[in-house]
Amino acid sequence: MRRFSEISPAAAALWYLSVMGISMFCNYPVLAAMTIAGGCMVFIMIAGKGHGREHLFFWLLFAVLAIANPLTSHNGRTVLFVMNNNPVTLEALLYGLNSAALIVGVLYLLRSFTMIMTADRLLYLTGFLSPKLSLTLSMALRFVPLFGRQWQKISDAQRAMGLYRDNNFLDDLKGRMRIFSILVTWALENGITTADSMEARGYGCGRRSQLRQYRTTLQDAVFMAADAVLTGVCVFAVCKNGFRFGFYPDTFVEKPGIKGICGIIAFGLLILMPLVTEGTVKLRWRYLQSRV
Amino acid sequence: MFGRKRHIIISLGVAALALLLFAAGFERKSTGTRRLVIVSVMTALCFAGRFIPFLKPISALTIISGMYLGGEAGFLVGALTAILSNFYFGQGPWTAFQMLAWGMIGLFAGILSEPLKRNRLLLLCYGFVAGIGYSFIMDIWTVLWYAEGFRLDLYIAALGTAIPYTVSYAVSNLLFLSLLAKPFGEKLSRIQIKYGI
Repeated sequence: MRRFSEISPAAAALWYLSVMGISMFCNYPVLAAMTIAGGCMVFIMIAGKGHGREHLFFWLLFAVLAIANPLTSHNGRTVLFVMNNNPVTLEALLYGLNSAALIVGVLYLLRSFTMIMTADRLLYLTGFLSPKLSLTLSMALRFVPLFGRQWQKISDAQRAMGLYRDNNFLDDLKGRMRIFSILVTWALENGITTADSMEARGYGCGRRSQLRQYRTTLQDAVFMAADAVLTGVCVFAVCKNGFRFGFYPDTFVEKPGIKGICGIIAFGLLILMPLVTEGTVKLRWRYLQSRV
Repeated sequence: MFGRKRHIIISLGVAALALLLFAAGFERKSTGTRRLVIVSVMTALCFAGRFIPFLKPISALTIISGMYLGGEAGFLVGALTAILSNFYFGQGPWTAFQMLAWGMIGLFAGILSEPLKRNRLLLLCYGFVAGIGYSFIMDIWTVLWYAEGFRLDLYIAALGTAIPYTVSYAVSNLLFLSLLAKPFGEKLSRIQIKYGI
């Protein structure tokens, strides 16, 4: 058993894709509430406690987004008050709250996605799509620290030759421009050398293999299967009109029928999957420790 | 089904499809290894440039790549920088739009490369328009995500709040193009002549 942040990149990407796909395109208030609650929990699970500033930013954004709609849209029947000769309606406010919950929920999910899907994991996935582009990306990633080190070397050399001064703003700027110019020339030449070296070692002959290998274990397979089934139920509920609701001119959310309830339960289970994985791992660890 | 959010689904689908088509075309063509590495060098430089506060040289470097290495390379530098830098600035559905927007800036620079190389004023104009156009494209996405369908009043509001960014994009493009276009052009042409890329 592995933790959620360590399951195979394909399984993690599938989960994020299905949760965000359903909640972003569905607009249903119940799902919106579940998205923001689930997104927040998953973020805390992955990022740990703290991160107060990020939470503050997300909830401020929530407030701004929720208020923005009633101030710009004047549809709806229930007028709360009149501002600048424009009616501010309850329906528009509810719509704003719903949109804000969806957007902030998805932003929470994306934050944790960025944390989990580090560059090497995402490059592993894009490698199946296009090995060449994936290679270009990973080379660019590698060039950044290399250029940083080279910049330091050039600057040291310039200083040793007495060409670089940083006590005067203009001289400093000129010096930096020169270093940058030297760096670019070097980077391009170095790129050619790299390319020739790659070709000499047989780049382009045969299939490209991945740098990192991720084994697909039984856990990944079960995770992906559960994900697919739950997503299928949700999509079925949406397609069969299980969620009946509207915002304008009157806001109503019809009591969901059997299809709607199935959809809601399925989405709830779907969004709880990382937490379940994490919980199971923790329980197992406790159990193993208690046996020692 | 999904009727209320049709616009965003379609626009996201079109963006993803365009990128996939481009990737597939690139995958099938035999691009020289040297060319590939030079593209990734330019991507790394752009990527590092995105960390400069307020001034963003990405569009300028993308335009220069497109002008001197061809439209395809320009598209690649723009699109790959977007996906790469978003590992740090946050991935999301907007990545697809950023990739497409920056990629197009590079692609058109490649198509217009002859006049752009000859006329410096035209190049600066192109950079200015590209900076503003980038902001305009990204705000379409903001509105589509927030509202059901496209709403002009919200779009204008979004453009209004984005004015500082729009100005910063346009100014950085002008600044970096006027500073970097000539030296970079010389270096890239030199490499092309020397190694025949």
